[in-house]
Amino acid sequence: MEQKRISVKICVGTACFVQGGADLLLYEDFLDPELLGLCDIEGTSCLGGCKTDDPKWKAPLVEIAGVLYPNVTKQRLAELLREAVDA
Amino acid sequence: MLEINNQYTLMKRRIDAEVLKAYFADTLEAIVDTLPIHIIPRERDPNRCCVYKERAMVRYRIMALLGVDIDRDDDEYKPLARYVGEALAAEAQPLPTLTTITPGCSGCPDEQYRITDSCRGCFARPCLANCPKDAIVFTNGRARIVEERCIKCGKCLDVCPFHAVIHVPVPCEASCPVGAVHKNDEGFVEIDHDACIDCGHCAQSCPFGAIAERSSLIHVARMLKEKVPVVAMVAPAIEGQFPGSLAQIKAGLVALGFTKVVEVAEGAHITALHEAQEVSERMEAHAGFMTTSCCPAYMELVDRHIPSLSARRSTALSPMAYTARQCHEQMPDAKLVFVGPCIAKKVEARAIPSISMVITFAELAALFVARDIDIKEIAAQEAPDSSLYADCRGFACPQGVSQSVLRRSAKPVQTMNINGVDKKTVRLMRSWEKRPPEVDLVEVMCCEGGCMAGPGVVVNPKIAMRLRQGADVARVGTIPLGGKKHV
Repeated sequence: MEQKRISVKICVGTACFVQGGADLLLYEDFLDPELLGLCDIEGTSCLGGCKTDDPKWKAPLVEIAGVLYPNVTKQRLAELLREAVDA
Repeated sequence: MLEINNQYTLMKRRIDAEVLKAYFADTLEAIVDTLPIHIIPRERDPNRCCVYKERAMVRYRIMALLGVDIDRDDDEYKPLARYVGEALAAEAQPLPTLTTITPGCSGCPDEQYRITDSCRGCFARPCLANCPKDAIVFTNGRARIVEERCIKCGKCLDVCPFHAVIHVPVPCEASCPVGAVHKNDEGFVEIDHDACIDCGHCAQSCPFGAIAERSSLIHVARMLKEKVPVVAMVAPAIEGQFPGSLAQIKAGLVALGFTKVVEVAEGAHITALHEAQEVSERMEAHAGFMTTSCCPAYMELVDRHIPSLSARRSTALSPMAYTARQCHEQMPDAKLVFVGPCIAKKVEARAIPSISMVITFAELAALFVARDIDIKEIAAQEAPDSSLYADCRGFACPQGVSQSVLRRSAKPVQTMNINGVDKKTVRLMRSWEKRPPEVDLVEVMCCEGGCMAGPGVVVNPKIAMRLRQGADVARVGTIPLGGKKHV
């Protein structure tokens, strides 16, 4: 059975981009090649999550298979993708 | 040197943005004293010993943002609101630029080489054999370093087959090319401002954030808020720092309230012309090598530490100086703000009366966040004809200056590049008095990776470089840059 590809959108709105989002764009350098093979990763316009006042919703944001995650670091992105692939 | 974006720099950017948001909402003086609590809530899992220490550090960060000389003017009894009032009344770029935050300094132990438990006490004993000072002794079948004899050459570390030797540096001291950063009698960081060349490497290296640059951001915010005519002179390194084209970044600056945006690459064209002319005259006169003069930290380095190179420097003014001259002629009533990746430029700008303030890209990023300006979505500004100076945008990258000079030179010029200045490079440059390099032009950049890796940048140079080459920000991650790509 072919595994479903996972759509990953890294927010490159200015607020996310300058608060760590730009570093996530180096995913070719820090993600496991196996994960890279299963994910379609791209940058996307502002996902809007940063506009709320809720302190949990901090930049940078990433959308993985339709679910929005705040405060994503390189390490967190790798974990989230691993979870999504294993699910 | 730490990565450009780490927990500390991201926290710094967040604090800058929160302060600016409050300033533009006219609530800064009312909320500034509680801002540390808002930014570091009690539930936070602290990176320092406790949230209270983190809040204290946020307070110091805000003081640095307000331009306060924390070394001298730290008054714990004084509310931040009063610092805000005083900062807004000040007019000039605060100097010295770097200041230390003693409570943040970890008081790192002196630099040392140490032998760990991994030592197997082997028969060959390469550490012992290679130590030039007989500083290695064996007790109980294990190697040990006699500290009084150790000269910290690192040879034992290089040769140990078990990686049993570790090097524990003092990051700020190690990163300073001129030995201006040291620990005082209490064991905390101190900067010798007479020796300091303002390269900012120490601030970039300290993992505790104990060295801060005093900002002029609040003054620039004030100019924008009060809508005085103000020109943004943007350094060539700006392209690639934000998620959009250069024309979009310019439009973003106009949206912030800058009257006009001028590329410093225009002034760089004049610098390159001047240097091409000068190097050709020197070649005819067989006067030996000439160095570039656009890196302000290098200029300070020569002034303070390598007098033998004084007459070797090009007499060309820096791109910022030429650009400021042009802007001042065209708009004599406007204030000029230089926006760049550099801390040393703040010192250079103080000597040029027409320039009001200098801010970094990281500080500009905070302005964009505070004013909710999205460079990715903004309509690009109409681009003026830049064919004359477009290649000078390369001044931001290693070899970019020398290439611009070459293009403007009638005859072939031999060049060499100093890409990043550390202690070893300083020793090399001192030796040029006796053994001059056999080239015509030496390009010097104090930051390794050029201005694009300066202390005030926002984006990893790998990403910035791809954006500068025209990559779409949405697809930039898939584009390999000269290196390996995982398949």
